[in-house]
Amino acid sequence: MRRTRTITALAAAGALALGAAACGSSDKGGGGSSTTGPKGGTISGAGATFPQPVYEEWASRFKDQFGTTVNYNPIGSGGGIAQFTAGTVDFGATDSAMKPEELAAATKGKPVHVPTVFGAITVSYNVSGLDKGLKLDGKTIADLFLGKIKKWDDPAIKALNPGTKLPGSNVTIVHRSDESGTTKLFTSFLEESNPEWKSKVGSDKTVKWPTGTGAKGNDGVAGAVKQTDGAVGYVEEAYALQNNFATADVKNKAGQFVAPTLQSTSAAGEGLQIPPDLRFSAINASANPKAYPIASATFLLVYQDMCKAGVSKDKAQRVVNWLNYAEGDGQKVAPELQYAPLPAQLHQLAQAKVDGLVCNGAPLKGA
Amino acid sequence: MEAGAVTATGGGRSILERPPLSRLPDRLLRWGLTALAAGVLALIAYFFLRLYNDAHPAFARFGVLDFVFRNNWDVSQEVFHALPLVVGTLITSVIALAIGVPVAVATALYVTELCPPRFRGPLTLMVELLAAVPSVVYGLWGFFFLVPKLRPAEQWFSDNLGFLPFVGGPVAGPSYFIAGLILAIMILPIVSAISREVMATVPAEHREAALALGATRWEMIRMAVLPYSRAGIAGAAMLGLGRAIGETIAVTIVIGNAPTIGHQIFDQGYTLAAVIANEFGEAASVPIHRAALIAAALVLFVLTLVVNLAARYFVRRGERIG
Amino acid sequence: MTMLVPLSARRRRTDRIARATLAAATGLALVPLALILYYLLKKGLGAWSVSFFTEDPSGRFFGSAGGIRSAILGTVEMVALATAVAVPVGIGIALYLVEYGGGSRFAQVVRYFVDVMTGVPSIVFGLFVYITLVLAGTGGGSFAGWKGSIALALLMLPIVTRSAEVVLNLVPNSLREAALALGAPRWRVMARVVLPTALPGLMTGTLLAVARAAGETAPLLFTATVVQGMTLNLNAPMNSLPAQIFKDVGQAQDRLVQRAWGAALTLVLMILVLTTIARLVQRRSRLA
Repeated sequence: MRRTRTITALAAAGALALGAAACGSSDKGGGGSSTTGPKGGTISGAGATFPQPVYEEWASRFKDQFGTTVNYNPIGSGGGIAQFTAGTVDFGATDSAMKPEELAAATKGKPVHVPTVFGAITVSYNVSGLDKGLKLDGKTIADLFLGKIKKWDDPAIKALNPGTKLPGSNVTIVHRSDESGTTKLFTSFLEESNPEWKSKVGSDKTVKWPTGTGAKGNDGVAGAVKQTDGAVGYVEEAYALQNNFATADVKNKAGQFVAPTLQSTSAAGEGLQIPPDLRFSAINASANPKAYPIASATFLLVYQDMCKAGVSKDKAQRVVNWLNYAEGDGQKVAPELQYAPLPAQLHQLAQAKVDGLVCNGAPLKGA
Repeated sequence: MEAGAVTATGGGRSILERPPLSRLPDRLLRWGLTALAAGVLALIAYFFLRLYNDAHPAFARFGVLDFVFRNNWDVSQEVFHALPLVVGTLITSVIALAIGVPVAVATALYVTELCPPRFRGPLTLMVELLAAVPSVVYGLWGFFFLVPKLRPAEQWFSDNLGFLPFVGGPVAGPSYFIAGLILAIMILPIVSAISREVMATVPAEHREAALALGATRWEMIRMAVLPYSRAGIAGAAMLGLGRAIGETIAVTIVIGNAPTIGHQIFDQGYTLAAVIANEFGEAASVPIHRAALIAAALVLFVLTLVVNLAARYFVRRGERIG
Repeated sequence: MTMLVPLSARRRRTDRIARATLAAATGLALVPLALILYYLLKKGLGAWSVSFFTEDPSGRFFGSAGGIRSAILGTVEMVALATAVAVPVGIGIALYLVEYGGGSRFAQVVRYFVDVMTGVPSIVFGLFVYITLVLAGTGGGSFAGWKGSIALALLMLPIVTRSAEVVLNLVPNSLREAALALGAPRWRVMARVVLPTALPGLMTGTLLAVARAAGETAPLLFTATVVQGMTLNLNAPMNSLPAQIFKDVGQAQDRLVQRAWGAALTLVLMILVLTTIARLVQRRSRLA
């Protein structure tokens, strides 16, 4: 409860600060071009639920600033890529970069990955008698999700948490039922840390779960965890904070147990190898001892040439405005929701991708 | 029904013959309505062909029988064998019928035969109110009320009656049983309403004859009402079954979304309809996944066809006996 | 039927037990109703306020969740369009079946396939519309309110047809024959005798279908989809009450779950009003 209040207060403070910022920037805009076409109207997107909190917050502030309604339908990254590829939405959103075969299936144009923010995937549990800060490593988390650890006082958990009193209640696993980038990131972490997981289950946007209840979206998993005593699931940090979930401290590459926080998420974004198409993954990649291991960037997907993919020029311009907002003011809003802004170098690369978008070959710049 | 042929034959205008102009609207109406009926057939034909056509890649890759009868629904590997979904659909529907139909028929009997006339209206209304509650509201209620409140009872049942088949072991929150129970509540009004209508058509003489012979109320029900309305009740149950098989949203919320075959009725599962609702937004760009979901829809469609055939068979047999 | 022996104690006991069982089962049937209504009122009323009905869902992660205005409007728009399509067609087919088709082979085939359609799960209609209209981009867009209406109309059509056929069959043949014998043409017999006589029943069937459609989620999820904003443009994605509730169910946030209860209460009340109107109409025309 205390924590929720803190974020609310933070949000309120941030909103005030941002209100001032928004005034400033709209003044600037008024002095420049007076084209009304790209303002107002709607654009629609669909995809990941991992960044849904921050995207919806952005959408609501973006509307105040530009008058454009962003209808974001949080149907999971799999759905986001699918709807993007089918051309039913103006932009897609995914937490795990598109796979080569998914890129090949996108025939409407060249997909561009625009990273927006970093978030942490928490291991959240609802076990009466068990506070936050349970120490877990990748292998143990994988054993939980394999169904091998059936009770909360299992020796494997005990060994990692000497001195902690563990209740003997049953473990109930909650996982995603939809195709999810969160799942892809989470399972690739498990795969790296547990050979049995790698051979039996593997990593993908959806896997053949050995056990557990499926729920739709990060919110669905959060809802199911909240409903069930003894439950453990994986959700983005904003969801964990909002529901006041107990979250586990997870062992990172440097051997440290790290709690998911804004700082540890930011740390996870440092020192990464970024390929030119920005399709990178930050899972367990940072050697920083302060880095939270299951943290990653999330992406917006657009076509390099939206107009050739069937979007009108005005709409394409609105989408570019939206992306510019995400890389601009949006970066300042993100921390209020416990998402980390992009590190400077990556941010430059992302902005360059947005600036490189065209309409029938002609460049589209921010309004 | 050849009432249109009332016109007199032969030459000259008979009194009965209508002026030719007034026959034109009749023709138009007749052809219009026939075209409408034919249109609906065409629509259904297109519907079926389109589904079959779009499902074909899945059947071609996995084989029809393997698609339906093998147990492996693995989206990430793009392997689609729908047995867990078919089994989930059947289990939840069977639970729904086992709980829902007896209660519905008993309610119908009570309302038509036993209860004081002044309660008849209100009782009917209340049962019909159940039909006014949408699927998604049942899901909402099931998720926030049934799942948590019934869990201790289910665990007790599972611990103490483990000797029963398909009972025993840890209880998941969302489960086949919860889904079946919600389906039972959902089919109750329709099964009850149709049973009631059928019972209302039992000729009063049959009832009176039974009572005049000295039958008790229950004997009258057994001798006069039930035999006469058996066909209708079977039809009602079949309709309920059709609804249960295809019910999507409420089930999606409380089934647990696990594409595996549970070992017991308190395990999580999946149904054909729920899998379509959950996955068809994601399948737009993966042709084989989309085909598999459409194939699942086709299997659902065929299941309802079979249920329909069975309903007709029961009704016919019932008619012959009754 | 054979003559029964005088009432024995055993028969009397059986009778009593059977009656008690039937009464108990009836009581049992009402338990879920009581529970659902109780929860709907308890949780739903708490969510209601003026702004609940005058604001669109905000989608904000913090702060006000907003109301359900766009959802109510979307449901009304889409169901109205679906009704305008399904009811005339459905009653038309029923008229054909009763007045012309009779027992002919063609009529039997039509009747059978209308039956088949009744059994088709609503999600399959949704899927059908998705693959034929949404993915194909018919009408220049992908998701659209009218596509949701089409899916709903497909669902309503067999319900309307079936109930209309039953009701039209209940119109006594003697009425038709009397009118025909007086020299009235067939279409006037239908318009002036058959349809008015059957009107209350047709109304009931129609309203049942409307109520069913208003509560359906599955056909809308991937045809009209879920959006926040309000729109009168049926060619745009459109919000609806059931889809909004489905989106909010299972959310961990209490205020979204509360919105779901408030929306559920609204939806159930809308459906109840429809049903009540149906009953009033039925009663009035019976008097006339």
